[in-house]
Amino acid sequence: MQYGLLVMGAPYSSPAPHSALRFAHAVLARGHKIAGVFFYHDGVHNASSLMAPPQDELNLTEAWAELNQQHAVQLDVCIAAALRRGLMSESEAQRHGKQAFNVVPPFELTGLGQLLELQQRTDRLITFA
Amino acid sequence: MILHILTKAPDSSASTQMQQAIGDQDAVLLIEEAVTAALDPSWATWQQCKARIFLLSEDLTARGLASIAEDNELPTLEMDGFVSLTEQYEKTVTWY
Amino acid sequence: MATSDALLVIIRHAPHGSNWLREGLDAALVAAAFGQPVHLLFMGQGIMALLNEQGSGAPGQKATLPTIDMLEMYDIDKLWVAEGALHAMHLSADSLVEGISLIADQEIPGLLQQHAKILNF
Repeated sequence: MQYGLLVMGAPYSSPAPHSALRFAHAVLARGHKIAGVFFYHDGVHNASSLMAPPQDELNLTEAWAELNQQHAVQLDVCIAAALRRGLMSESEAQRHGKQAFNVVPPFELTGLGQLLELQQRTDRLITFA
Repeated sequence: MILHILTKAPDSSASTQMQQAIGDQDAVLLIEEAVTAALDPSWATWQQCKARIFLLSEDLTARGLASIAEDNELPTLEMDGFVSLTEQYEKTVTWY
Repeated sequence: MATSDALLVIIRHAPHGSNWLREGLDAALVAAAFGQPVHLLFMGQGIMALLNEQGSGAPGQKATLPTIDMLEMYDIDKLWVAEGALHAMHLSADSLVEGISLIADQEIPGLLQQHAKILNF
């Protein structure tokens, strides 16, 4: 089966990203595919490359990136939700005249349409919030 | 048939709203804060969804509630069982 | 009642308390803009989004009513309101915007079953 995940909880504020990651690994272990993860609402903070938790805590940004590298899971971040919370890619930073950026590949800023498309093309969309 | 996933405690508004939305054939999975429902076997949803409601065991264990859930004879699932539920139920709705 | 291929967006959060309402309505509008039929179900505090006398929030905080007014332009004309929650909040349908439909609590499970896709905000 094809799965899609919608993550709307912020890292280290909500248990949602941890639950989502553990669920993702269990989905893959059962032989399914994960087409993509869509980060929305406070979940967009999962994409911050400036995240620097203490060493004994899981670095969520890296954990998501690993999921992308090992299992080709697409990581889409809602651009509107991200920009209003101060998350931006290099090109968005340039466009908005900002001096820094914190969203880098494999995370991609994209429109909300991508969430609906993910829901359309997968067999299951599971929300973590 | 819908799998309802509750992430908030039984006394939350998310929980109340979920109770209003559960259909006769639906299942319920309690994760994160919702596993505190293990403390109260008289919680209405246990009866409402008998045999189709589960606690996520790793969230119980993390909170020190695993043996209480066992003593209260409440059904638990591993993460693998969570995935298996999502295979069986075509739709899932998360209440948070 | 609802058609099976429609997306049901459930709104459970009030204006101004968080961004859940705004971002939930955004998802509904984008789905509609992509040509998907969209129905809305307002439960609990989400009903506050429909109060016809609401204004804008703190300085710079957008009002919700203009977005609610926009729904019709996007062909989102099914706005279900959970009747039990409305009464529990001591509100009457008169204080809400026009064009809403009340749904009895016992019909809510059926409404969810009828929709192939659901997003819960």
